[in-house]
Amino acid sequence: MRSHRRRIATATAVLAVGALALAGCAKGGGGGAPSAAASKTPLENKAVSAITVGTAADSTGPAPEVPGAKPGGTANMIDRDDFSHLDPGRVYLNYNASVSLLFTRQLTNYKEDASGSIKLVGDLATDAGTTTDGGKTWQFTLKDGVKWQDGTAITSGDIKYSFERLFADFITEGPDYAESWLVPDPNKPFRDQYKGPYDGKELDTIETPDDKTVIFHLNAPHPDFNFTVAMTGYGAVPKAKDTKQKYDKQPFSSGPYQIVSHTTDKSLELERNPNWDKNTDPIRHAYPDKFHMEFGLQSQQSTERFLADTGADKQAFTFHNAVAPERVQEVLGNAEAMKRSIQGLTPFTTFYNINTKRVTDVNVRKAIITAWPAKQLQQIAGGEINSGKIATTVLSPTVLGYEASDQYGKLAKPEGDPEAAKKLLASSSTPTPTIVYAYNQTPTQEKITIAIKDALSKAGFNVVAKPLNPATYYDAIGPVDNQYDVYWGGWAADWPTGSTAIQPQFDGRLIADNAPNYTHLNVPEINTAIDEANKVTDPTAAGKAWAAIDRQIMDQAAIVPEYYQTYFGLYGSGLGGVRFDPIQGEQSALDIWVK
Amino acid sequence: MTSFLVRRVVGALVILIFISLITFYLFYAVPRDPARAFCGKICPPETLELVRHNLGMDKPLFVQYWLWLSAIFVGRDFTQFGPCPAPCLGYSFATQEPVFSTIVDRFPVTLSLTLGASVVILSFGILTGMLAAWKVGQPLDKIASSSSVIGASLQIYFIGPLVVFLLVDTLGLLPRPSYVPFTEDPLTWFVHLLIPWVVLSIIFTANYTRMTRSQMLEQLAEDYVRTARAKGMSGRSVFFRFAWRGAMIPIITIFGVDLATLLGGAIITEQTFTLHGIGELAVRAVLNTDLPMLLGVTVVGAAAIVILNIVVDVLYAFIDPRVRLN
Repeated sequence: MRSHRRRIATATAVLAVGALALAGCAKGGGGGAPSAAASKTPLENKAVSAITVGTAADSTGPAPEVPGAKPGGTANMIDRDDFSHLDPGRVYLNYNASVSLLFTRQLTNYKEDASGSIKLVGDLATDAGTTTDGGKTWQFTLKDGVKWQDGTAITSGDIKYSFERLFADFITEGPDYAESWLVPDPNKPFRDQYKGPYDGKELDTIETPDDKTVIFHLNAPHPDFNFTVAMTGYGAVPKAKDTKQKYDKQPFSSGPYQIVSHTTDKSLELERNPNWDKNTDPIRHAYPDKFHMEFGLQSQQSTERFLADTGADKQAFTFHNAVAPERVQEVLGNAEAMKRSIQGLTPFTTFYNINTKRVTDVNVRKAIITAWPAKQLQQIAGGEINSGKIATTVLSPTVLGYEASDQYGKLAKPEGDPEAAKKLLASSSTPTPTIVYAYNQTPTQEKITIAIKDALSKAGFNVVAKPLNPATYYDAIGPVDNQYDVYWGGWAADWPTGSTAIQPQFDGRLIADNAPNYTHLNVPEINTAIDEANKVTDPTAAGKAWAAIDRQIMDQAAIVPEYYQTYFGLYGSGLGGVRFDPIQGEQSALDIWVK
Repeated sequence: MTSFLVRRVVGALVILIFISLITFYLFYAVPRDPARAFCGKICPPETLELVRHNLGMDKPLFVQYWLWLSAIFVGRDFTQFGPCPAPCLGYSFATQEPVFSTIVDRFPVTLSLTLGASVVILSFGILTGMLAAWKVGQPLDKIASSSSVIGASLQIYFIGPLVVFLLVDTLGLLPRPSYVPFTEDPLTWFVHLLIPWVVLSIIFTANYTRMTRSQMLEQLAEDYVRTARAKGMSGRSVFFRFAWRGAMIPIITIFGVDLATLLGGAIITEQTFTLHGIGELAVRAVLNTDLPMLLGVTVVGAAAIVILNIVVDVLYAFIDPRVRLN
C-alpha cells in the first residue's frame, strides 16, 4: 500500500489544503498543520492487536453480520480527490485501494475481528495459499461460486491473465513485486524477460492445471507472497473485458458493487453487482443498495458538512478526509459529533532520514536522535491527533512482529536530552559537527526547523537549514550524492509484515538515485539479516526476525523516528458500521449500512 | 470591418501560440519529473524511462511542443493512455482523461456561473451606478456609494461559506450550490446556482456601481452634454439618450476583460462552492504539475480573453458612433 501526506502550499487562503494521503513514498513535508491548542487529546489510537494468517474456515463467507445492520439505501462518500486509478494493476494508493475493495477481489485479503486482530484469509481463494518449499512455489485454489459481474465464473485462467497483463508497458503505477519474482532472472528488468499477454505469449511461471488451481513458481523463496497478492494491485481482471488503457476508467466487477458511472473529479456511482455471492466473501457485506461518491471537498468543507449533518450528508462518510486541524478542538468538545468520529493508527510512519554517507560517525547520529525535540515538534504540528504518536522504531505497530522499543529514551525525554547528546558528541570524531538540515518550505516546517535548530544547537551542533520547494522536495533529496545530512521522509509497508517496511529502505544493496533508501545505510550485517528474515516461513518467527533488524537499524541511528501516523475523521449520523481500516489507514466502506 | 477582423484573428492566433510556448517551456523550467507520478512507490530506473517514453518526454523539448501543437489538428496515440483523436490537447497527467473533452465537460459549469452572475452584475451595477449619478450628493447616491465600498471590501471565500451556512445549513431555504445541466432541468440549474451568482455579484456589482457613477458624472460634464442642455433638451433625455452611451465604453471594456477572466476560471468561487468548472480544473492542474491540463486551461483562458477583446472592439462601433473600426 502507498500512503503519504503531501503538503501543498497555495497562493490564497481559500485554496489552502490540509493533509492528503496520496500516493507514494512519503511526498511532502512532515508535520501537520499548526494548531497549538490541539496538544491534548483524550483519544487513544489503538494499533491492531494481532496479525495472523487465517485458515480455510476463516476464509469462508459470508462475513459476520454487523449488529443492527439492514440492507438498502444509498451511502454517500465525500472526499477531496477522485480516485486516480481503478484498474487494479495501476492501484497503489491506499485511497484507490479502499474503493477498489467494493468491486475488485484478490486471491487473499484481510479480515478484522471485533478484538482488533487481523487475519490474512482467502478472498477469491479457499484459503490464504499454501507453500511446501519455503515460499518458492505457491498454490491457491479458487472458491466455488465466484463470478464476474456478467455471471461468468472467475477461473484460474483469469488470475493468470491478471498477473500477465501487469507486464504491459502502460501498467507502470502499481506494485511490481510479483512481476520481479515471476521472471527467471530477478536481477534483470522484468519487462526485458516478458512483455505481457497482448502479443499472445503466456508467462510460464504461472501454472493453471485446472479452472480452480493457480500455482506460482517464484524465482526465489518469498514466504509472505500470500500477503503480496492481497494488494489491490494484484486484483482480478478478466481477459474478455480487458480494454487495456481504458480499463482504468471502467473496471469489470468481481466484488459486491459495479460501476454505473464515473465523471472524473466529480462523482462515482456504484450499484449492486447481482452476481456477487456473499457466501463466497468473508470480508465484504454490501448492505447499501448504492454508493454515491462526490469529490472536490477540502477537509474544511467536509468537516463543516459532517458537523452540520443535514440532508444527504447524514448518510455520508469519507474514505480519507480527516477532521480539519483547525476544527479538531471543536469536534473533541462536541459530544454528539464524537459519537460519529473514527480514529486509529495508520500503517504510515514518518521520520527524519540521517544521510549516513555524509554523517558517517554513528555517535554523531546517535547524538542527533538524543537531542531531537520530538515533543516540541509534535506540539507545533498540532498534537498527537493532528500528526501521530511519537515513534521510536522503524516498524509501525500495525506491522506483524512489531516490538515496542525505545533505544534512545525518547518517550522518557521527548523534549530531547542535550546533555546526553553532548556526551555522545564528545566521544565522536567531531564534537561540534555541522549538520545540513533540508526541509519543505512551508509555514509549519519553518517553525519546526527553528525548534530543531534550537534543540540541536544546545547539544553543540551547528545546524544549517536549507529550505526546499515542496513541489520538488523529493527530486532534491533523491540523488545519492545530495548535499544534505538530515531530511524528512515517511513510509508505509505494502503489506503488514516487516519485509516491505524494512528492506526497500535499509537494504544497502538497493541504494540508487531516487530509491527509497534515503539514509544510504549500507551495513553488511543488516543486509544479511534481511536475507535471512526473508527466508523465514513461520509468520511469528519472521516477525521476530524483522523486529531484531529494526533494533539493528536503530543501533545504527539511521533515522530519527517521528510519528506513527494517526487518523481522525467524521461521518454522518445516518450511517452505521463505519469503521477504521487499519490496513488502508482510513475509513472502510465494507461494513457500512444506512439507518 | 472584414480586414479589421482578419487582422485581429491572425494576431490572436500568434498570441495563443506564444502563450502556449511560454507555458510549455516554463513548465519544464521546474526541476520536477512528471514521469515519477506514473511510476510505482519503488520506481526502478527502467520503469521511469519507460514512462518518459510513453509520455513522449524522452524527446527534445521543441519536438514535444510540435507534437502537442500538431495533435490539435491530427490527433495522437499515447502508449500510456491510448489514442487521442483531434482536436487533441493531450491527456491529463493527473486524471488520465483527454484534456479537450475535460475542458468541454467543465465549460458549461463556468459558463453558467459566469453568465448568470454577469446578468446580476450588469443589471444591478449599472442601474445603481446610474441612479447614484442621477441623484449625486443625495441620500440615494450615498447609500449606493457606501454599499458598493462594503461590497467591494468583502471576499468570496468569506461571504460564500457564510451565505451557505445561513441559507442552506441553518434556514434550509436553498439547496447546497452545485451544477445541474440547464438542458436537464432549468429550474434546478437556476436554484442551485443562485447562491454563487449572488455572492459573485456582491463583489463585482460594487465595482460596476462605482465605475458607472464616475463615468456618468464625467460624461455629464462633457461639452456635448452642456450643448444639448443649452439647446433645451431635458435633463432626463440628456442622461438617458446621450450620457450613458459615452459612459458605457469603458464599462464594456472592463466587462469584456472581467467576463473573459471569469470564463477562464472563477477560481475562488468554484473552489468555495465546490463547483467543478474551469477554475477548479486550473487549480488542480497547478497543484498536480499537470502540464497538459495546465496548457489546455491556459490556452482556453487566453483564447477567451483574446476573443472577447475583439468582440468588445466591435461593440464600441455599435454603441458610440464616433468609433470607426477602420
